[in-house]
Amino acid sequence: MPLLVQHPAYFSKSRLKSDLVAHNVALPPAKSKKEVYVELYLKHIDQRSDFSSDEEDLVQDVTVENPVVAEEPDPRDLTDDDLKAKLLEHGVKAGPILASTRAVYEKKLRKLLQSDRHDRVNGAEKGVLYSDSEEEEESEQDEDAESGSEGKSQTVEQLEEQENSQNGDFTYPQCFLLSSRLHVPASRNREPDSKGNALKSSARSLSQNSWIPVGISRSSSVDRCSGVGSVVPPGSQSVSSQAFSITQMVEEMESQRALSTSSNTEGEVNGSNVQEHWPQSDRLDMPVVDEYYTPKASPYNQTMKEPLKDTFKDLLPDNDITPTRIYATCRRPIKGAAGRPVQYAYPETPASPITLERREVERHLVPIHIQIVVFLIVACLLYLIYDYAEDNSLGPFVSL
Amino acid sequence: MSSTSQKHRDFVAEPMGEKSVMALAGIGEVLGKRLEDKGFDKAYVVLGQFLVLKKDEELFRDWLKDTCGANSKQQGDCCGCLKEWCDAFL
Repeated sequence: MPLLVQHPAYFSKSRLKSDLVAHNVALPPAKSKKEVYVELYLKHIDQRSDFSSDEEDLVQDVTVENPVVAEEPDPRDLTDDDLKAKLLEHGVKAGPILASTRAVYEKKLRKLLQSDRHDRVNGAEKGVLYSDSEEEEESEQDEDAESGSEGKSQTVEQLEEQENSQNGDFTYPQCFLLSSRLHVPASRNREPDSKGNALKSSARSLSQNSWIPVGISRSSSVDRCSGVGSVVPPGSQSVSSQAFSITQMVEEMESQRALSTSSNTEGEVNGSNVQEHWPQSDRLDMPVVDEYYTPKASPYNQTMKEPLKDTFKDLLPDNDITPTRIYATCRRPIKGAAGRPVQYAYPETPASPITLERREVERHLVPIHIQIVVFLIVACLLYLIYDYAEDNSLGPFVSL
Repeated sequence: MSSTSQKHRDFVAEPMGEKSVMALAGIGEVLGKRLEDKGFDKAYVVLGQFLVLKKDEELFRDWLKDTCGANSKQQGDCCGCLKEWCDAFL
């Protein structure tokens, strides 16, 4: 209930006195008029909270009540219509508020008011929480993206290195040369750097992987490599880097080769017109290797392409050899298919984890041939025993 | 008809007429007595309450709980029973 507002003028003198004393206000002379007390009261208690407390009391009461009124109107105090209106505010279409239904509706209103209060409190908290979480999520996503891209680039490089090492057995430096040429434009495509930068970057990575080309050049047989490069799909930058260090090896190798075309590759590798040749090679090679070109070129396919170079040469010796010796074959060649004999040892295929598991299990299991032999032996033994049982003589055993 | 009791099926099978409040599914002797004390002595009175609450399941459950102290299962049974009866006959 709101306090009745009373102007200090209506207070009794004694009350004014006591109030002034309570607020440490110097009392006027004892026999001063009430008006003096009133003035003092108004003056001092006006400055303090009390007078304003009157107002504040009013205000407070009002404010206290207002929130109460606004947030917590006791459903019991509401009229039927008010209760219905309040429920409607919360989206509840109430039926007739009768004696029997009133209690239920009051309960419902209380529940709604409580949930409102909770929402308001939680909303403020959640706002802060969400903003933090968003930032965290964003930062996490950024970190993940960065780490992912870094990881990818690393794995790609690792894969390339592995493949290159694998290629060492039967691949030829020129392949790397050509692949490098292919990669250079690819790297350019990826990086917005200028041609020079791309070459520089590849050269830098070249120095890192220089050991690979050395190994390859020594191990590979010169005669096989015809200087024909397979179209290496834009993928590995490290391979491109290797090409430049291989140039020296290639020079040596090509000096031994009878093929004259190899010299062209060198010139082109050293040149900076790789990107120009790239589209040309595409155009030239497409009719030749159209059937073999698959758009999805994985770095692994490089290894598969090298063995084919010879066969291609055999089949299409008269075709104009493209400057880049790029033959687009991304598909893994079928062993011994289409009349082409299996010339080279194919590296082990990548085995899925399931295959690996199966192989391991099979290693521990008895091979099937041995199982069959054992079965036959056991069968023979049983037959002999049966014979012995039938004849009940040592005849069959005597023969043994 | 996976989880309805025999009482439920019996009630929903025909117009309730003058059936006692204990014929409702979920309302046994104890709850029925309490309801009768409050004045709900026939099933149709409880039906009336259900309809006045605009067939709102939640409100009716609350009312049942307040009036006779039914637990959650009993509330659900009674409410479902009346609902189905209304669907069939109202």
